[in-house]
Amino acid sequence: MAPDISCVFLVALFSASCEAIASSDQMCIEKETNKTYNCENLGLSEIPGTLPNSTECLEFSFNFLPTIQNTTFSRLVNLTFLDLTRCQIYWIHEDTFQSQHQLDTLVLTANPLIFMAETALNGPKSLKHLFFIQTGMSSLDFIPMHNLKNLESLHLGSNHISSIKLPKDFPMEKLKVLDFQNNAIHYLSKEDMESLQQATNLSLNLKGNGITGIEVGAFKSTVFQSLDFGGTLDLQVIFKGLQNSTVRSLWLGTFEDINDEDISSSVFEGLCEMSVESLYLQKHHFFDISSNTFHCFTSLRELDLTATHLKELPSGIVGLTNLKRLVLSANKFANLCQINASNFPSLTHLYLKGNMRRLDLGTGCLENLENLHLLDLSHDDIQTSDCCNLQLKNLSHLQSLNLSYNEPLGLKSEAFQECPQLELLDLAFTQLRVDTAQSPFQNLHLLKVLNLSHCLLDASNQHLLDGLPVLQYLNFGGNHFPDGNIQKTNPLQTLENLETLILSFCDLSSIDQQAFISLKIMNHVDLSHNRLTSNSIEALSHLKGIYLNLASNSIGIIPSGLLPILSQQRTINLRGNPLDCSCSNIYFLEWYKENMQKLEDTEDTLCANPPLLRGVRLSDVTLSCGITAVGIFFLIVFLSLFTVALIFAVKYFLRWKYQHI
Amino acid sequence: MNSVAAALLVWTLTSPSSSGHGRGDAWPTHMACSSGGLEVLYQSCDPLQDFGLSIDQCSKHIPPNLNIRFGLILREDIRELFLDIALISRGSSILNYSYPICENDLPKFSFCGRRKGEQIYYAGPVNNPGLDVPQGEYQVLLELYNENHATVACANATVISS
Repeated sequence: MAPDISCVFLVALFSASCEAIASSDQMCIEKETNKTYNCENLGLSEIPGTLPNSTECLEFSFNFLPTIQNTTFSRLVNLTFLDLTRCQIYWIHEDTFQSQHQLDTLVLTANPLIFMAETALNGPKSLKHLFFIQTGMSSLDFIPMHNLKNLESLHLGSNHISSIKLPKDFPMEKLKVLDFQNNAIHYLSKEDMESLQQATNLSLNLKGNGITGIEVGAFKSTVFQSLDFGGTLDLQVIFKGLQNSTVRSLWLGTFEDINDEDISSSVFEGLCEMSVESLYLQKHHFFDISSNTFHCFTSLRELDLTATHLKELPSGIVGLTNLKRLVLSANKFANLCQINASNFPSLTHLYLKGNMRRLDLGTGCLENLENLHLLDLSHDDIQTSDCCNLQLKNLSHLQSLNLSYNEPLGLKSEAFQECPQLELLDLAFTQLRVDTAQSPFQNLHLLKVLNLSHCLLDASNQHLLDGLPVLQYLNFGGNHFPDGNIQKTNPLQTLENLETLILSFCDLSSIDQQAFISLKIMNHVDLSHNRLTSNSIEALSHLKGIYLNLASNSIGIIPSGLLPILSQQRTINLRGNPLDCSCSNIYFLEWYKENMQKLEDTEDTLCANPPLLRGVRLSDVTLSCGITAVGIFFLIVFLSLFTVALIFAVKYFLRWKYQHI
Repeated sequence: MNSVAAALLVWTLTSPSSSGHGRGDAWPTHMACSSGGLEVLYQSCDPLQDFGLSIDQCSKHIPPNLNIRFGLILREDIRELFLDIALISRGSSILNYSYPICENDLPKFSFCGRRKGEQIYYAGPVNNPGLDVPQGEYQVLLELYNENHATVACANATVISS
């Protein structure tokens, strides 16, 4: 009897201490309470009864709804967004969306539609976005037009459509996007284009259609926000066809899987007869670029020549003097001077990233670009022992500089003296070689954002970050502090205006209490992926209302004395720590439950100790460190039984003993 | 009640509920190519679906710019699409590589920008460098994912060079 009783006693104690909530699968995921639900991939053949009537956003793709009709969604009267991608819908019957007055976006992509009833789309008062991608449609007559007055975008990609001609009376007062990509449209006639006349500032996508002809004058006096002829083989046809049109953005790039022929300069003659602001020509081959090639580009503000196999641009180019933005990424320049920057005196933005060979920055190659605001030289294998004053000579208006993902750069004091207006500097994943006591960022009086992540910097240099009076954002992740410890005196102390500090992956094991004492207005501190214990939390005692990321550290027990510091913060992430769920951490565990609204990633904040609770969410743990009422009851019962048994035993013993006297 | 039953009760109460998502069978193993001393087998490791792949001109001396045929259903938009390759031989990692296939500012292929739900068939070049495969057996893990790191396709491949 005794072992049985002690088992019951044990069970009573344990059952009070741990509760795990079983998760039920095959349920829609609630993304926003009573509003947004995701029911993807569940094989549902109807709207589940568990969805509240107030649902506004419903992701219902990859389910099974062969027929949809007026009863299918009737209960969900507040729907604004409905995604029915690949639900095997064949039929859309009369008045299917009758009660969805708020419906704004309807996605019917990849359904093998056989028929849509004339009143299928009636109901919504302001239907704005319709997706009929890959629905097997061959004619636009298929879409019932009654209720499309407010339509802003119509997506008809990957169908069998051969003409863009919209049906007569198709409402297009508000139409802004008409997407026909990957159809079978080969010819654009005057009649086709006239059907679009009422639309203003339209974006028309004809990518992947293989246009082989445009009727002369079809685009006469038309104005488009954007036109996309991506993958078209014959650019001559396009330029000729677009005569006398105005296009803000013209996308004429091609792709790796399309065999294009080399473009000769004469193709661009057509540009003289039209007005384009932005032109995209990526992945084409130009076989005879000369200084005269671009003479019809005078109206251009932006030119994108990404991956066009360029090794150099000739000097004395005519026609690009007004150009503001130039993209020369993924080409094959050996030296920055080979772009002949004096061709583009008005340039404000220059992108030359992902160069296919090591880029030598040379000396003063960009010195004529006095108006340059943004320069992107990332992923270029740039390597230099003394950066960057010679290389960036005379770029006195530069505000944004990206040198991330390059080879090692040597920086001396005042390395960016030539660009005193810099507001953003990105050097992530570029190894920086800075000698002791040098201050490379000295005198960047306007710098607000500095990314030094994974630059392999040594923070023992106290002057590393000197001279940055208004710095608001610093990413210092992946760098090293001496002995994994941030001491009271450290290079961060000079950054009094810092709001965001990232110190993840710094191999930190401790932070001095006073280490951040002069950083008074920080509101975002990321200390994740280090080896910090709870002692380091004291360094944040002077901060209030911050976002604090302590994920993936070595925090086990948080003593009660540190809890007020956590309480005064806005959001805290403790995911991936070896948190203790025994009675020695009871104050923190109680605090955790009371402050769930402050905690991030609670799903992945798990116990590591004791072994019995390893992997259980902290939020699911209820610890009783006194003995529970049930426990007390059983304890009393057990003790009384024990006493009774003892008394009997003593009695028997005495009786037995005295019997034999 | 005996102590075994009590222990069982304690265990069921305390152990975290194991989620019952285990799908019965794995996808079948397919052959992407087999000729010229090279055999490539693959199996989809996306629990939601299988996909089809075949490689032209299979050989120990892989020529540059191979042509492949590829068919699958998109579970995600692929405005941005990235490929991770992990190459393992005899249990140790030889190579990890990540490559952008579609980016907003550089859609390399014509299928870039297609939408969730679309069925894709691609027959064309992959722009790979040429390389000779030394004799042996290799494990290759290929993962296609988009800007939200949502899986588009996943393949566990075995390459046997003899």
